[in-house]
Order: sequence, then structure tokens, then C-alpha cells
Amino acid sequence: MSERPAPTRVVVLGGGTAGWMSAAGLAKLLGPLVTVTLVESEDIGIVGVGEATLPHIRGFVERLGIDEAEFMRATHATYKLGIDFRDFGRIGDSYVHPFGTFGEEAAGVPFHHYWLELQRRGMAEDLGHYSLAVSAALASKFRPPTADGSLTSTYGYAYQFDATLFGPFLREHATKNRGVERIEGKVVEVRQDPESGDVTTLVLESGREIAGDLFVDCSGFRSLLLGSTLGERWEDWSPWLPCDRAAALPCAHISEDFAPVTSAIAMPAGWRWRIPLQHRMGNGYVFSSQFISEDEACAVISDAVDGELLAEPRVLRFRAGRRSKSWNRNVIAVGLSSGFLEPLESTSLYLSQMAITYLIELFPVGGQIDARDRDEFNRLVDMEYDRVRDFLILHFHATERDDSEFWNHVRTMQVPDTLAEKMTLWRETGRIEKYSDGLFYDASWIAVYLGQGVWPQRHDPRTRLPAPEQIARALARLREAMIEEVAAMPGHREFLTANVQRLAAAP
Amino acid sequence: MSEARELPQRIVVAGDGPLGVLAAIALRKALPRTEVIVIAIPPDPAAFAERIGTALPFTNRLHDRLGIEEAALVRQAGASHRLVMRYFGGGGPGQAGAAGYGASIDPAMKTAFAREWGGGPRNAETGAPPRSLGEVLAAAGRFAPPSGEAEAPLAELDYALRWNVPAYRDLLIQIAQRLGVQHERAVITGVVPDGAGGIAALAMDSGAQIAADLYVDCSGSGAVLLDQLPEHRWLDGRGTFHARGLAIAALAGPMLALEDRATWTPLGWRWELAGRDGLQALLAVPGGASDEAIAAALGSEPAAIVPFAPGRLDAAWLGNVVGLGSSVAELEPLGGIAQDLAHRQLALLLELLPGRTVDPAERAEFNRRSALMADRAADWIAAHYAAPAPTARFPSLNLSPDLSRTLDQFIRRGRVPFAEETPMLVQEFGTLLQAIGVPQGEGPMAAAGEGSGEAAARAFEERARAALNAAPPYAEWMQRAVA
Repeated sequence: MSERPAPTRVVVLGGGTAGWMSAAGLAKLLGPLVTVTLVESEDIGIVGVGEATLPHIRGFVERLGIDEAEFMRATHATYKLGIDFRDFGRIGDSYVHPFGTFGEEAAGVPFHHYWLELQRRGMAEDLGHYSLAVSAALASKFRPPTADGSLTSTYGYAYQFDATLFGPFLREHATKNRGVERIEGKVVEVRQDPESGDVTTLVLESGREIAGDLFVDCSGFRSLLLGSTLGERWEDWSPWLPCDRAAALPCAHISEDFAPVTSAIAMPAGWRWRIPLQHRMGNGYVFSSQFISEDEACAVISDAVDGELLAEPRVLRFRAGRRSKSWNRNVIAVGLSSGFLEPLESTSLYLSQMAITYLIELFPVGGQIDARDRDEFNRLVDMEYDRVRDFLILHFHATERDDSEFWNHVRTMQVPDTLAEKMTLWRETGRIEKYSDGLFYDASWIAVYLGQGVWPQRHDPRTRLPAPEQIARALARLREAMIEEVAAMPGHREFLTANVQRLAAAP
Repeated sequence: MSEARELPQRIVVAGDGPLGVLAAIALRKALPRTEVIVIAIPPDPAAFAERIGTALPFTNRLHDRLGIEEAALVRQAGASHRLVMRYFGGGGPGQAGAAGYGASIDPAMKTAFAREWGGGPRNAETGAPPRSLGEVLAAAGRFAPPSGEAEAPLAELDYALRWNVPAYRDLLIQIAQRLGVQHERAVITGVVPDGAGGIAALAMDSGAQIAADLYVDCSGSGAVLLDQLPEHRWLDGRGTFHARGLAIAALAGPMLALEDRATWTPLGWRWELAGRDGLQALLAVPGGASDEAIAAALGSEPAAIVPFAPGRLDAAWLGNVVGLGSSVAELEPLGGIAQDLAHRQLALLLELLPGRTVDPAERAEFNRRSALMADRAADWIAAHYAAPAPTARFPSLNLSPDLSRTLDQFIRRGRVPFAEETPMLVQEFGTLLQAIGVPQGEGPMAAAGEGSGEAAARAFEERARAALNAAPPYAEWMQRAVA
């Protein structure tokens, strides 16, 4: 092992979720290679995006050495098995995009081809009935999956939590256990090296100067270092993803139980979320200001929620897109300062986590940044963003809705070629373009295509080989096994209270 | 509403070498109501994708899936197991290292980081030293195939097989015959175009015509079907590879070994492929090499020098004709990579199996992925020539952007980036680079001491001891297996 260089001084700007995730992750994984300082101001609110998460977050929490029950208690977390989409393809339609698969392939042919064949003959139940994650989600049941290759290992899970509590929880962890220094203050000036253009120092309102070697910009939409200071170009994706506002408001639960699933409900000018946490229901209307005013949207969401309102709607403004390069000079943007994609598939925290992971892998040990590592980081981050982008666009584009200007626009718009090619392959053959890097594989695409009425014209010829009754029997057996498994699972709330205490005390 | 596509009524496979017969078995098993006809083509010595009797672990899985039992290969086709490839001299005289197979050849467990964190098991630092159970067992000469039990001491082992090519082909033919694959001995004299970029029928010297819905070109480097199609376009790989021919030594005495060896010579990598019926030395040679130089590098007079031109077809599937193996990509077969590529392409064809008519989107997807497979396989070979000694000898070979990035990341950071459709796991690629003497940099995780090296090393030692206890001497195992 080579001699260890002097620690790199990492300055994280911003104490939101991305900021504290970055600080905790870098300090834990890079240990002696870094000193981590985080600058935040209590006067600047945080967006607190990402109430709903993807299964990857589990690895993050575990890797930090945090106990799951403690984390869930602190963030009022519930379990999540997927997202329940309503009214997207057509008003009245619904489907669950699960953290899990549908059925099993047979004779080298993916399950959904057999399902399509039976469906054509009117012999199949809903696709979701052949997914254990969907079946459990609809029954409001939960148990962690096994790893034994059996039916109970065919799903994963994530959390629904109060994002405004996650940052402070990580702050506590990072400052107490990981030696992260927290500095309170507003940045009034960013100093750059006159020759290289690198950021050298953050000057606070108090006059205090924070020097660093590497700056992680977690300043949110303001993108103070990457955007404002370095002027990194913004790639605008709003022609494809026109939603640019969210009106968020919490309400009380109306029932004792909470669903292990996030809801996304299509609306005339966007969609709204419904995220069951332990103490409240998170709600929000993500809309396009081209098609509805803020006041109207606030009124709509206030009417739409079913529990007692716990606050006035809070409006967030954003724009879909990303910076051309998330890492420029010695500034790495993580979270909203790097890019924004609406939380339709709960990708916000994942995108932060992903950037932190790649930053650690490509970290400039000793502080010297090699342009090749920066390029590699940007290549990987771009690939991740672009894949999520296409998948999100599909949710809007794949619709028959013609009941509003918003849906007329997204239904008829021209989508990126990368998505158009995937959709053509699906429509013509029922096949999914394959990739292994990035997010969202076969099962996710199948869930959305079929859930939103994008039917292939043809499916695999090999589904003609077994007699339809034989396929039907196999599917019925699978369905029975799932019903049995779900019946044996505890209820979601029941599981949260059993064994280890995951529930927070009532407020 | 989606309709099942019509089943192909007849598929013709051009080429009755091992690859053609294997493809016929795979197609017939997938489509038992479809007539599958294999047409004899004179063997092509440059069809490295089937003439060199070894592949990589992927092939074992394909064989399993097609009902070709490893036990039968051992009993009837002279099969033996390769746990590692041992390399000599890539980093200069005296340098040596071994490269094995499988996801568990990263004993420092540094990859756990990426696995748990959502980068997936794909982008990962590969830990040094390159210790694996395969290497330990190969050094001790002990082996038995894993039983299939998850927690057994040998469960994490992965390996490649070698076999006797004619015996392997005979075994495949038996299976194909049982499945009702037909064999056509008449000679193809021409193709009847279908007006859509494909083939309507083959004209045979018997005067007959054979029409089919799909044609699979397994004819070797001559690509007898694809070569007839107007869209056929060859991408020359000679700027990336110096090799213009494969020198093949006469078979030496039988050798039962768990490793093969590759030694850097002034002309290229000499590869000694151990076999129960003989040890085969092979050497890819540059154009213009003298007979003396070749004999010296190969260690004996070559029995044959087979010329070949590295490169691949731009699109492996044109109209209703899909090519596999040497008909669509020519590369040095070192370590079984050429056969591995052919078998991956076959598996891809099974995945995207068309109906009676070929869908253009599906063909495009096949071509996209097949091209990635071929390019990544070429990168794997090119990596061998990016080791220090080969680079000094052949300084001007082009590297693909993917391989350049991999080498740069490995040398500076000890990291192997993930690539789509690559034949190698990142761990396998990392140990290959270590074994051929590419200097490995240190990643931040290693520098930070993440991964608790000592504990991992102790755990590995324990696993190694258990594996050694569980595995008999290889010769003993082999005796029992063939008895």
C-alpha cells in the first residue's frame, strides 16, 4: 500500500438531504483520506425531496453502519414495495410498478409473453397478480424478502420516510460518529483561483472563510458553485417533461393501516403523489405551470387529499434537466444542483446516492484531480440521468388521455430517439431493449408498458408451443402460491411494530 | 391485442461443424415443430470459433440449458477443466500471474461496496492480490466440479472446459439426430434473393432448392450465405491487431492439467492448451514473420499456419440471415474467447428468436448487442497486447475507447469499469490485467483501508483449506469420472 497522502479537504455546501448524504458517505468510506466540512444555513429551507425511495437506499444506510430500525424510527419510515399508478394510461386504469418481477421465464421465454398469449385468449388475470410484490402491496402486507431463490426472493423493498427528518438524522450521525464538521452560515462569496478557475474558498456572512480542495455542491436548485459560479450549462428537458411545479402538503392518516406502496395519481395538468409515512400522509401535486396556475393547483390538491390538512400547500419550482457536466473543475454537484427529474419514480435520492458512489470510486486521492476521472464520473452520471429520463417520459407519453391540454401535449410530443427505439422494439415484438447499467430493467418497463396500455402487436412465437390450458395451469399454480405467501405475511403495520420497534412515538 | 407470431416452419443452418450442430440443437429444442436442416460445408480451418476446442464458463451454462451434459463431455469428448490461465512474461521477463473465472475471485471483497450501494456489482475496484480458490486448486492439482449445493466448499468455483473437437462434434451430432435435426450433404451453389435483403432459397448442386424462413450462417470465415447479401459490410480490425495468422503446432503428448499457459514471445502470445489427448501449442503471428521466427516462438515447427483477418461484420443479421461465430467476427482464439463469442451470439439468437418473418426492430437489437459482444471480445484480446512487453513490441496498435478507459482506470486506480455485453466480469478482467503484468493502481477504497484486508484474507485462507480438503487430486477424479 502506498503512503497515504495528506487528507483532502472536502467542503460540502448545503445541509439538505444530498448534503448530509454526501458528507456522511464520504467521511465513512474515505475515512483518513478526507476531512469533511459541511456548510449550511438554518435560514435556507431545504426541499426535502425524496419521501419515497428505491431499494438502493437500504445499502446506503447499511453501509454507513446504521441500524435499520433506528433509522426507520427516526425518519418515521414505512416500507415500500412499489408505486401504484392511477389514471395514467386512461382514467380509471391502475397498475403497480413493483420492486420485483412478474412470474418466471420458461423455456427461455420471458413470463410476460406467456401472459400476453393467455390474455389474448381471455384466460389471464391482471399481470400484477403474478408478482408477489404487487400482490403483497395490494393486500397491505409486508415481510422482508428471502435470499433463497424461491418465490419469496422475487421482490425487494424500499422506504417511504419523512425526508425533512432524514437529513437531520444523517447530520447527527455524521457529526457524532464520522467527524464531519458542521459550520452554520450563509455563503456570500465564492473565491476562485485566478489561474485555474478552481473554487478555493467559501466566504460566509460572518466573514469566516472556508478553504477546501474539493467542493461538493449540494446547494439545491440554486446550484451556487456549479451553476452560478462556474456557469455550467443546463440541458433543458422540459419539452419532454413539462411539469415545473409541485404543491406539497401533508395530511393526517384516515386509517390505522398504511399501505406499503406510494401512489402516483395522474391529474389534468400533471400528477399527484400520496406517500404514507408513520405519522402523516405526504401529498403533492406535480404540475406544469403552462397548463394550470399555482393557485388553482393548490386548490386542487387541497380538495383531493382525504385526511385532515396539516399545513398549507407549499409550492416548489423546478425544471427538468441536468447540468452538462456534474463535475467541473473541483466542483461536484450532487442532488438538485446537478439535475432534476420529477419524483414520479422516486429517483431523487437514488440519483444523489449514485453520484456519491461514483465520486467515492473516482475520488481524487491527495486532491489532484485527473481530467480522465472527471470525464468518467460525468459519463456515468449522464448515463444514469438519461436512462431515468427516458423511463419517466414513457409514463406521460404512453397514454390515451385526451381530456386536457397537458395530456394532449405529452401524448403527441416527439420523444427522444433513445426512447422511440425502445418503444418500437416493444410494440413490434414485446421485447425490452437490454442494458445492465443504470436503473430500470425489464420488469419495470413491462409494468409501465402494459400498465399504460402500450400493447405489443406480436409476442414470442414459442408461446404457441404449449397448449394454452397448460400455460393457464402453470399461471394458476403461480397465482395460488402467491395468494398463499401473501396470506402468510403479516400486515404492514403489524410488521412495523413486531420484534424490533420501528415505529416512532406518537407526536 | 398482441398475437403470438407464427412459428418458423423451417430453419436452415449452413455449416455442420460443432457450431452449426450446436446451433441446430438449440433451435430444434426451442422450436420442436420447426424443421431444422444443417447443410454440410467443408470445414474451415480459420473458423476458430469452433476449431479450437475450448471456451469460457458461459458455454457451460449454455450446454446445461441445451441438455449437453458435462459428464458426457468428460466421458465422450475428452473434456477437462481449466481453472486458470497462467500467463508468463507479459510484464517482462520473469513476470507471471494467473487469471481465473467467476465473481468470487475478488477475495478482498472490495466489490461489496459497489454491490451494496447501487452502482451494482458492475463498477468495482478489483482487489489485489489476485487470489482465488481456482488458483489455489490449480496449483495443488486438485479439483472436483461443484456439487450445486450453495454452501459447499467448492461452490464458488467457476471454470472453463476444453474438449476434443471431432469427438465433441460427434457427441453433438448424436444429440442433434435424436432431436430430429436433418443433415443435408448437397453443396450450396447459389442463393435466391428474396428481394428484401435476405434469402428466399438456396440452390443446391443436386438441382434442388431449399427454402427456409430463417438461415443461420455457421460456415466459418467464408460466410457463405452472408457474403452473398448486398448489405454485407466488413469492418477491418487489422489496425487493432497485429496477428495475420494462427500457427498451430503438432499435438504433443496428453496432458491432464487444471491450467493452461500463455507465454509472451517476440511474435505474440504462445498458448498451450492442455488436453487429455494432447497438448496443443498455438501462436497468433504477425504478417511477414519468418518461418524460423515462428518455429522459435512456437517451440516447434508449426503443423499449420492458418491465415486470418481480424475484424467483424458491421451487422451480423441481414434480412433473414443471421451469422454466428467466425462468419461474423474473426479474432484470435486465445483462452477460448472466439468460441465464447459464438456461443453468446447463439444465446442472443435464442433470446430474440424471430417468428416466421423477421422483425426489423428485433434484428436491429440483435445487431446492436451482437456488435457490442464482438467488440468487447476483441477488447479482451487487445488487452493482452496492452501488457508492458507486448506494447513495447507492437507500439502502434489502436485501442478502442472502452479499452483505453479500462486500462487507464486500472493503471491509475485499480478499477475496471463495467461494459455492456462484455464476456468478462469486472473481477475477471481485473485479474487478467494483473496476470499479464499491467501495473495496477490503488483505488481510494484500498487507500482508505476499507474492506478490512486482514479479516478477508483469513476468511479466504479458511475457504481455501476447505476447498483443498473437499477436492481430490484431479487425475483421481478424472479416473472415476471416465470409469
